[in-house]
Amino acid sequence: MMSQWWLQIRAVIRLEMKKTFFAKRGWWVYALAFAPAALFLAHSLDTMRDRDRRQALAAAHPVAREALESIGPGMTRDQVVARVGEPYAQRTMRFRRVESTLYFYTDGESDFSFSFLDDRLVRSGRKDRPNLAQETVRFAGVFQFFYLRLAIFFGCVGIFMNLFRGEMLDKSLHFYLLAPIRREVLLVGKYLAGLSATVVIFTTSTALQIWAMLWQFDSRVVGDYLHGPGWGHIASYLGVTALACLGYGSVFLAAGLLVRNPIIPAATILLWEAANPFLSAALKKISVIFYLQSLCPVVAPPSQDMPPWAVLLLSSAEPTPAVLAVTGLVVVTLIILVLASLRARRLEINYGTD
Amino acid sequence: MSGPPPITASLVVFEDVSRFYGEVLGVNRVTLSIPPGITSLVGPNGSGKTTLMNLMAGLVRPTRGSIHVLGVTPAEPEKLFRLLGYSTQFDSFPRGLTGFQFLYSFLRLFGHTHAECEKLAWKSIERVKMVEAASRKVAGYSKGMRQRIKLAQAIAHDPRVLVLDEPLNGLDPMVRAETIALFRELAAEGRHVIVSSHILHEVDMISDQVILLSNGYVVAEGQIHSVRGEISEQPMQVLIRCSRPSALASKVFEQDHVVEARLHADGGGLLIKTRDADRFYRMLNHIALNGIEIESVTPADDNVNSVYEYLIGGGEPTK
Repeated sequence: MMSQWWLQIRAVIRLEMKKTFFAKRGWWVYALAFAPAALFLAHSLDTMRDRDRRQALAAAHPVAREALESIGPGMTRDQVVARVGEPYAQRTMRFRRVESTLYFYTDGESDFSFSFLDDRLVRSGRKDRPNLAQETVRFAGVFQFFYLRLAIFFGCVGIFMNLFRGEMLDKSLHFYLLAPIRREVLLVGKYLAGLSATVVIFTTSTALQIWAMLWQFDSRVVGDYLHGPGWGHIASYLGVTALACLGYGSVFLAAGLLVRNPIIPAATILLWEAANPFLSAALKKISVIFYLQSLCPVVAPPSQDMPPWAVLLLSSAEPTPAVLAVTGLVVVTLIILVLASLRARRLEINYGTD
Repeated sequence: MSGPPPITASLVVFEDVSRFYGEVLGVNRVTLSIPPGITSLVGPNGSGKTTLMNLMAGLVRPTRGSIHVLGVTPAEPEKLFRLLGYSTQFDSFPRGLTGFQFLYSFLRLFGHTHAECEKLAWKSIERVKMVEAASRKVAGYSKGMRQRIKLAQAIAHDPRVLVLDEPLNGLDPMVRAETIALFRELAAEGRHVIVSSHILHEVDMISDQVILLSNGYVVAEGQIHSVRGEISEQPMQVLIRCSRPSALASKVFEQDHVVEARLHADGGGLLIKTRDADRFYRMLNHIALNGIEIESVTPADDNVNSVYEYLIGGGEPTK
């Protein structure tokens, strides 16, 4: 019997995969999934271009880092020039007879700017090239704030809700129901097809994001990272991505069996997940994000630039040990799938009212 | 020692089945036993034909009552669809598939191997004469081709019960005749072929038995001649082709059971209405022996159209 079910599950997966991967209506899932990879790539390219610019300027206007760091408030422009040479660029502004001048220097690694007011240095600024530690924290923020909560979330809405609902709309679901296949087996087949598609799409994007983030760094820095926590982080992020698809997939597969409009369950579940930090300990566990956040390898501190609502979304739940988090997520998923299969058993074809 | 199989194991049985869609009646208190052969479900739109078929296939569940298809309930799809094939009236297909891929994919759901699926798919495609179009996308098929590929899907796994919702819709006359021949062939193999139709003369041609539906109720069932015989309040109509219709008319008017006799438009026959068919046929034998040459005697309202009109239309059949 099990081998028969497995053959049927494979047949369902084969039918669904093509529809799921190449659905005309599903292009936005790819856009959502790969947008962060494109952003990290653009950021890396920009950082590399900036590094090349600094190095070219430093070659043309060589200056020692120590000399630049020794410049202090109150110095005159002549004193600064005497110590570090002429700036590679300068900008002068005049406001109500007060002249303000900015001098720009670089040692090839960092940008320095000195602001003079009436020939006296009043402020100095320094912009360092981003380091790997900063980038991993930035990555954690994007991963937890955008990728998990929005990209994977809505990607799963698009793919899993369509598995049953899409075929109801296309009026082709009955062909499945005319085959000698248990509804539970059909549900498992469809779920595995959706899971395969989302895991492939989103873990590929996660891997690309990590690659794009690391691209800007020297091979030595990357090598050090990979020999340190790097591979562990990568494995964790890929695992969390797959678990997010597992959890959200089950939720939206069930939602697709229950309601006609995907917006309503998506908005309700998004609110529920967002409210997770305020929930009681017991209620927190009935959510996907609770387990996923516990498994993220880098804590994403809220940025000062973030609006209050975004900070709330980032508020992490109390961390749960990894084994418990994975077990909890799998248990929640199984419970949802069992409930969905009960619903599938009672599923009727009534396209007229769907 | 195992005894003979229960009689229901060879029947499609509805026991006091009702189905409501909210407050709208689908079918009500349907009790039927459908034997092998061609059975036609006849009724106007909304009479409950499709609901009855969907109930048989488990696509909808009864609000009340029970259904058994050769002893299997529709709640057991893993058993039911090895016995039953259903060509629905839904004219939509999974996207992007060719006719062959459609059948092949469907058969894979049965758990068959690749080779078995290919073999069964081609066999079925040949049976509905779609070989040339099998490699084309279903989306590009004509209405008639879509009907045939649905029929191929319904028969592909060699089911003992075939349920076909308006299977002749959209078919050209030649294909229609071939399809009817296929139904007869399948029925002759001892299968149940249950078709719905609103084209009454076709039902007449193909059916071994009919089930007449109106507003969700079964108003008559059985062999069409038996059903007609049971409608005693309506006079039987008989068309007699004979050499001297006027002489025949004067003879038959002497009988108290004859309520009407009308000369046929072409002058070569007489349409007679009688309340007692048995006495009428005995009388006709007597007349034939007395010099009026009778060429043919045909029941003029012993067909589904007439029975349908009597039972559902509430009036006389239109000739």
